[in-house]
Amino acid sequence: MDMNAAGRTFPAYEFRVERGKIKEFADAIGDPDPIYRDADYAAKTPAGGIVAPPTFLRTFLYEPRAASDALAIKDWSYIVHGEQEFEYFSPILAGDVLTARERVVSVTEKESRRAGRLHIAVIETVFHNQRGEKVQVARRTIVETSQRIRD
Amino acid sequence: MGQPMPAPSFASIRVGDAPEPLRCGPLTRTDFVRYAGASLDLNPNHHDEVYAQANGNKTVFGMGMLAGGYCGRLLTGWLGQSALRRLRIRFASRFWPDDVLTISARVTGTREADGVGLVECEFTCVNQSGEVIIRGDATAALPL
Repeated sequence: MDMNAAGRTFPAYEFRVERGKIKEFADAIGDPDPIYRDADYAAKTPAGGIVAPPTFLRTFLYEPRAASDALAIKDWSYIVHGEQEFEYFSPILAGDVLTARERVVSVTEKESRRAGRLHIAVIETVFHNQRGEKVQVARRTIVETSQRIRD
Repeated sequence: MGQPMPAPSFASIRVGDAPEPLRCGPLTRTDFVRYAGASLDLNPNHHDEVYAQANGNKTVFGMGMLAGGYCGRLLTGWLGQSALRRLRIRFASRFWPDDVLTISARVTGTREADGVGLVECEFTCVNQSGEVIIRGDATAALPL
């Protein structure tokens, strides 16, 4: 892992939050809530429409690989997803067009008795909607272990 | 479909309150594949048995964020769809086909700030042996 990647930023990317994708995601986590599927029902909720589930935006962190590429990871079998955090500022509605900006917050080293030397990177993604409102921040912590992860 | 469920009132929330735990499983490889398609997590360790075993795993294993999605589902079902202000998911261990995951949560604190009632809670996702898969914490805002 490139220990000097902290502070790096990447070109913003844009995507539309598709209604069908929200339903597909809700189905995949087994959530029967009609707010993910039924526009009439969702219109009567405080959000006023079909909304994205709380972990939905993780979906849009796989495609742009710029931030993880910047970490120069040689072998992904040494990588674990340590932690995922979201901050919510405003609901994300079906049809919204979001702009995402990624930044490597930190890259640190830690000694672990169980797993040896660890490299820990925190990548933050800030999402704004089409009105320029900050709607969500996602922070993922990825950990590079010094040995392959086995059971 | 019916009318939306009203969010619980802040005044009714007490430290120690807990929703009915959410049980998911026994999980199947198909559940993993479905989440792979929905989430675009196409890491072959989660769907390709040959690859996963060549990589030293006994079989494919579930995506941490699938279990994380179950945690989010428990919280939104309990506190309401637009209530969450923050959600932190810490991955402790992996899970496998045939596992049954149980997600539990409890209120750890309440306070008022900026005209809303903030509810702090912690949650866990454990497998059928009680092994912790996820530990996490969240903050929700409820109307006063």
